[in-house]
Amino acid sequence: MIRNGKTGQMRIIEAILASFIIIFALSFANIFVITPTSPKYEVTELQKLGYNVLHDLDEQALLARFIYNREWDNITAALRVLLPLDVHFSMTLYDLQGTTIDNATIFYGHPETFASSKNIASVTYGLAGYATKINDAYQAIYEPRIVILRLARG
Amino acid sequence: MKKFITQKKGQFVIIAVLMIAIMIISIGALMHRAVTYYRHEPWEEYLTLIGAIELNSLRLIELSLANYTNTDSPDQDILRTNLEKWQTNLTRMYLGYGISLNSSNCCLACDWNKNSSSSAANAAFSLNIASIGLTGYKFMAKAFLNLTILNKIDNEINVTVRGEDGTHITSLREDNFQVSNGIMILNITSVASYYEPKEIHIYTINCSENMTTPITVKVWDERGIQVTAKYP
Repeated sequence: MIRNGKTGQMRIIEAILASFIIIFALSFANIFVITPTSPKYEVTELQKLGYNVLHDLDEQALLARFIYNREWDNITAALRVLLPLDVHFSMTLYDLQGTTIDNATIFYGHPETFASSKNIASVTYGLAGYATKINDAYQAIYEPRIVILRLARG
Repeated sequence: MKKFITQKKGQFVIIAVLMIAIMIISIGALMHRAVTYYRHEPWEEYLTLIGAIELNSLRLIELSLANYTNTDSPDQDILRTNLEKWQTNLTRMYLGYGISLNSSNCCLACDWNKNSSSSAANAAFSLNIASIGLTGYKFMAKAFLNLTILNKIDNEINVTVRGEDGTHITSLREDNFQVSNGIMILNITSVASYYEPKEIHIYTINCSENMTTPITVKVWDERGIQVTAKYP
């Protein structure tokens, strides 16, 4: 009777130890889990997104056209289409002296998003120039522009 | 051995070993799935940066060629000057990246006033980005435009327009062309295009006046690069 009782205690201890092993293994695995929404990589994810969007627009020769022809509504619309709905953006354009161009407001989202968000990504994109047609003649002048695109999730 | 087999406890040992084995395998599989569920690849950010520099270096070549072909007194050094400025300005644009762009073999040329005329520019680049340890990333950037006058029938001229690697440019309209007979600029009534097996894509330029040869055709593509061809 006593002998049977001792065996039962051992089983309980074994079960407890096994539970500990499982819990420990699960918590250990949890350390390595990085989901796409992980705040650890949120900023770099937004940066990648921003770079890709600007690069896509530039490849289609649209980015330079919008910027040099001052088509602010078109660039806002293009960014709204290309970026996910929950991503808010603010774009500022500078010349090489650091002066903002036209104080252009290329913006989407709530102003508080950029004030309150912990994860704001900033993307810099450089443009060399654009050939514009003025009075049936093309003017192709080297006139670099620096595009700063700030992104945050709303 | 016989004693071990006949013992009832032996069964529990086997069951326990099996359960532990299942447990280890399950945890292993779970951990593998957990660590490979999402893998962050830090170099992806830099791929787009390299792509942006490459693309805008090409834009600079196109811009320089457009400038060269649209000026009455072309500056032969325009490409070299622009490249030098671009190399300096890139460092200021992308502060903190340690970007250094070097160019070589830059050349700019126009072969005009022939049946088949061309404008071309190219440069070889070598890119270093110190912040990611990238050194000696080489790429070529070239801009090219060719205009060939195939024939002239009455007041119609058939031409082909090709870009880099001989690809046909198919998006040109009336305002991309100009026709003159050496005395005056002729009025273009329409520009139609069609496909045929040999030349693939042909533009037919219709002018309101009857043309006397020789005729000169100018074309500007979307990038502003100009080519002037003469027929015959």
